[in-house]
Parts: sequence; C-alpha cells; structure tokens
Amino acid sequence: MSTLTIENLSKQYGDVTALEDVSFEIEDEFVVLLGESGAGKSTLLRCVNGLTEPTSGTISLGGEPISDSQADIGMIFQQHNLVDGVSAYLNALTGSLNRVSMLRSLLQWQSRADKLSALEALETVGLLEESQQGVSQMSGGQQQRVGIARALVQDPRLLLADEPVASLDPSSAETVMGYLRKAAEEHDVTALVSLHQVNIAAHFGDRFIGLRDGQKLFDVEREELSPELIDDLYGSVETVALAKPEEIAGAGPGELDGVPGEIEQEIEA
Amino acid sequence: MSTPPSKGDSLAAYFGYAEIGDSPAERKLQEMKRRKTRRRLWTLAGVIATGTLFYASLLLIEFNVAELIGQLDQFYEALLEYFPPTTYFGIPFVDVGAYVDFMIAENLILTVENGQIVWGAMFVTMAVAFAGTVLGLPLALFFGVMSSERVIPYPFNFVFRATMSLIRAIPGLVWFLILIPLAGVTPFTGALAIMVDTTGYLGRLFTDELEEIEDGPIEGIRSTGASRSQVVSFGMLSQVFRQFIAWIAFDLEHNVRAAIGLGIIGAGGLGLELYIQRQTFHYTEMMACIILIFLLAGSVELISQRVRSALRDDDTVEKSGVLEAFVNAPRNILASTMGRRGR
Repeated sequence: MSTLTIENLSKQYGDVTALEDVSFEIEDEFVVLLGESGAGKSTLLRCVNGLTEPTSGTISLGGEPISDSQADIGMIFQQHNLVDGVSAYLNALTGSLNRVSMLRSLLQWQSRADKLSALEALETVGLLEESQQGVSQMSGGQQQRVGIARALVQDPRLLLADEPVASLDPSSAETVMGYLRKAAEEHDVTALVSLHQVNIAAHFGDRFIGLRDGQKLFDVEREELSPELIDDLYGSVETVALAKPEEIAGAGPGELDGVPGEIEQEIEA
Repeated sequence: MSTPPSKGDSLAAYFGYAEIGDSPAERKLQEMKRRKTRRRLWTLAGVIATGTLFYASLLLIEFNVAELIGQLDQFYEALLEYFPPTTYFGIPFVDVGAYVDFMIAENLILTVENGQIVWGAMFVTMAVAFAGTVLGLPLALFFGVMSSERVIPYPFNFVFRATMSLIRAIPGLVWFLILIPLAGVTPFTGALAIMVDTTGYLGRLFTDELEEIEDGPIEGIRSTGASRSQVVSFGMLSQVFRQFIAWIAFDLEHNVRAAIGLGIIGAGGLGLELYIQRQTFHYTEMMACIILIFLLAGSVELISQRVRSALRDDDTVEKSGVLEAFVNAPRNILASTMGRRGR
C-alpha cells in the first residue's frame, strides 16, 4: 500500500506561485519529474516530504495524510545533506534515528538489526568497503550514494530525490541513477525523482510528469515521451538531447556511456 | 587654464582653502585637499585626546619615574633573592636547590606519606581548573545551544543570551567573592567560580559556532523523521563537534590561569602559596611558585594547542566515531607533536 496521492496541491511564496493545482497518483513505479529550474519540482518534493507546508491541497501516502517529515519517506537531496564530520556508515545509520531514543542514538546503541541494515544499504549502493571512510573524503557521486543508503535505512515506502545528480559529472550521474533505480527495485518502493537532464530521465524512468510554471503539463508513460512534449517543456534546445527518443527509451544500460559494466550487471540483476 | 604659481604656493592653497581656478578638475582637487585637511584635524584631535587621557591616568596612579630609580637598589636585592646565586663546580649559577627544597618542604607538587599520595598545591590549582571546566561544560553547552537562533526562535533565545552576557560582565575573581558565602574561601568555591565563568565564555563561543552551520545536514536529518532533539544533535552539533572540542581545550587553558588568580584571593593551590610567600617577603620561595606556575600553564597550553592542531588536520576523527576519536587522541597528539603526521 504505498500509493502516493497528490490532490490539488498549491504552494505560494508571497506573490510567487510555485505550484498550482497539481494532482496525480503514483504506485510502485519509478516516476521522473521533469521541468526547468523554478518549475516547482523541488517545492513539490519538499511538500511531499513535509519540509515545506503546502498552501492548499492534500498529500497522502497509503491513504494517510502527510503533515511532517516521516520515516517512511526517504529523501535524497541535490547537495547530499550528509553529516560531514563522520563516516559513511554513521551517516547511513542516521536513517534509523526515528526508531531509537535520543540517548541510545547519542551513544550509538542502535540495535543489531539497524546496524546491519545500514551496512546492507551501503552494500546496495556499492560502498560496503568504503563504509568506514569519512564522507568529506568521498567524491560527489559516492556521497550521493551514501545519501541513497541513508534513505534506504529508513525502510521507506516512498523514495524522493530532488535533482540527485545535478551537481555530478555525466558518468557519475549515470552511476548514481543506476544505484537509485536498483535500490528502488530491490526494496520495492515507489520513487519520485526530479531531474533536468532529459537523456538520463528517459533512460531510467518508467513514467514522466512534466511541470512548467508550477502546473502539470503532462503525465506520460515511457513509450509516450515524445520530442514534442519535451519541446513544450523546455523550448527547442533540449530536443537535441532527445534526438531519437525510441532508441534511448528502449536502450539497455550498456549503450550508455560511462557506466562501468560491472555496475550495469548489478543494476540489471 | 593654469593658475598663477603664486596662489598655488600659499599655505591656504596647501590646505585647500585658497581661491584656485574653477575648472571641474581644479575644483575636485580643491575638494580633495579640504577633505585631507579635515582628516588631519580629526587625527590631531584623536592624538590630543589620547595623550590627555594618558596623562590624566598617570597622574591618577601617581606614576613617578624618580621613585622607580630610587627603588632600583631594593629591586636588585629582591632579584638576588628571586634568583639566589650559587656555584656548581665553580661555575656561578642560580641556586636551583633552594627552589627544590621549598617545593618539597611545602609539598608544592606531591609527596607520598605512609604509602598514600598527598597531592600538592600545583595539583590543587589544576584540579580547580579542571573540575570547574568540566562542571561548566554542560551548562555552557545548554546555554550555548539555547542561545542559538537555529534552536530557539528569535526573542526567546535572548533570555539565554542575556544570562551569558550577565555572567561575562562579572569577572571570575568577583564570582569567587560572590560565592564565598556558599562554600567558603576554599578550592571548591574556586571551581564553582570557574564553572560560572566557563558557562558565560564557552557558551558564547558555542553559540557563535552554531550560527555558522549549514542548513543541508539539518534538513537531511530532519527528512529521516528524527525527533527534534536528534535533529539538533546529529544535524547541528555534529557539524561543530571539532570546533567545540578545540574551544574546550582553549577554555581549559584559560581556566588554569584563572585558577592561579583565584588562588591568590583564597582558592588555594599555587596562587595562595605565592601570595603567602609574598606577604612574608620570601622571594626565593615566591619564585619557586612562579616556576611551577610557568610549568603548569605552559604544559597545559602546549597540550591544548596540540589537541587543537590534531583536530584541525586529522581525518581519523572522520573515520571513527566520537568515542574512538577520544581513544585515539593521545596517540595522534603525540604523533603530531613529534612531527610524524605526514604520510
């Protein structure tokens, strides 16, 4: 029962309308939010996560309304938002904070199950060997994978990712997206990911929701994603990136540049 | 368009108050000169004011060079007592034995009596500083965190901020005097005074650090559904953990010096010993105390500096948790002191 239902969601920042009457429902899918900067993607995700209060409308997960940040919604941020001073393992472990008391969490007295789940999440994102490494010594892509691990430790029903690869180079971006997709599939969670790189989105998404000026422009399955729709969303420039949508949409990960073969197999598996 | 040279040479022209030509450039030059003149006048006024205050202060403290010169003989005699001369193997030197005799006789460091260690004045001073710092630490943490606008919203955090300002407005020595009715003229009161002082100073340093932290990690922890106190400790305090440790080391260093000052007014330890010897004009004994003060304050400062430098460039703190960082600290400090830190 991890259906995310958004009904008539609107958000105003003073005079600026960030979101206007957006409604959709997603369930057990990997959904990509597309749109230019300022289209309302981040605001939508922050509302779903409870970090921002919507002006009107309702959001519910599995039929229950969402009001504040909660454990069963994992969030992955563009700037990772990890705790810098500590290891990848301790960062992943913060995903279990909601399950332990203040005192136990301070003394790192998490249960064996929580500790194992932190290590397993790091294994899922291919960082088990690096788990003792300080996150500030890691590359941007690795840090983002720790961010995914933290979200997984929360044992979420819904994964949200706000431009998770925007600050990464193309090769790391594809690696991270591969792990995100794999994580969502392994843990059987619904994922809602905002992206602005159309080619990456087309490769990893099942379903695409386009936002422009805070309004929903389209909501299509992978097969229906056409250059015309992208054109509407971004203007003509981005269409170049989606020269042959059928090809890219149907392509296996092997045809993408920069993803190491090993990882592809893992993703496929 | 040039002005006659006679006008440009006059004093009024130099200060920018002579009639020169009226081209825009000349008027600009005139204005610049006038501004410079005004600036010079202000500087002059400042120098005169400072000089006057200085002179008034000297009068007030009855500063008298003639008296200094007249007393030089006496100071020379005191110097001979401070540093009693003797000869070692025929070479003239300071009589170190006299210091050591006194340190042992008065038990300034420590002695063993019937198999029991009796801690001396130096350790009493150290204990006053250390106990005061540790007692003040939780209070500093509490007030420091509560004063931060990130934790407590704007007008309310000022209650805590104001409390710390009030504490800081009163010097530690005065806190000691205030607290005497509570615990007497004892080292215990000294530790309490340092505790209060630490709350005010360390708390303020903590608050300043907390104002600098980033929003990202706070939001990251918040998004996991963590409780509010967990968001504060993992999202905020974790960002300033190293800085806090460094400030605590610095504060301990400061408190050791403060404990010596408190000793002089009755909190025991080296300060008290120093005061007693001065009252009785035992200058050699007084210098023995000063040597120990120098050694104590110096070594605490050295350790504190090494802690801070080890924290600054130590990545093992990141790899390990809080506890491991503490366990590894002595080794890292040693390594950094020996200069073996580069790989």
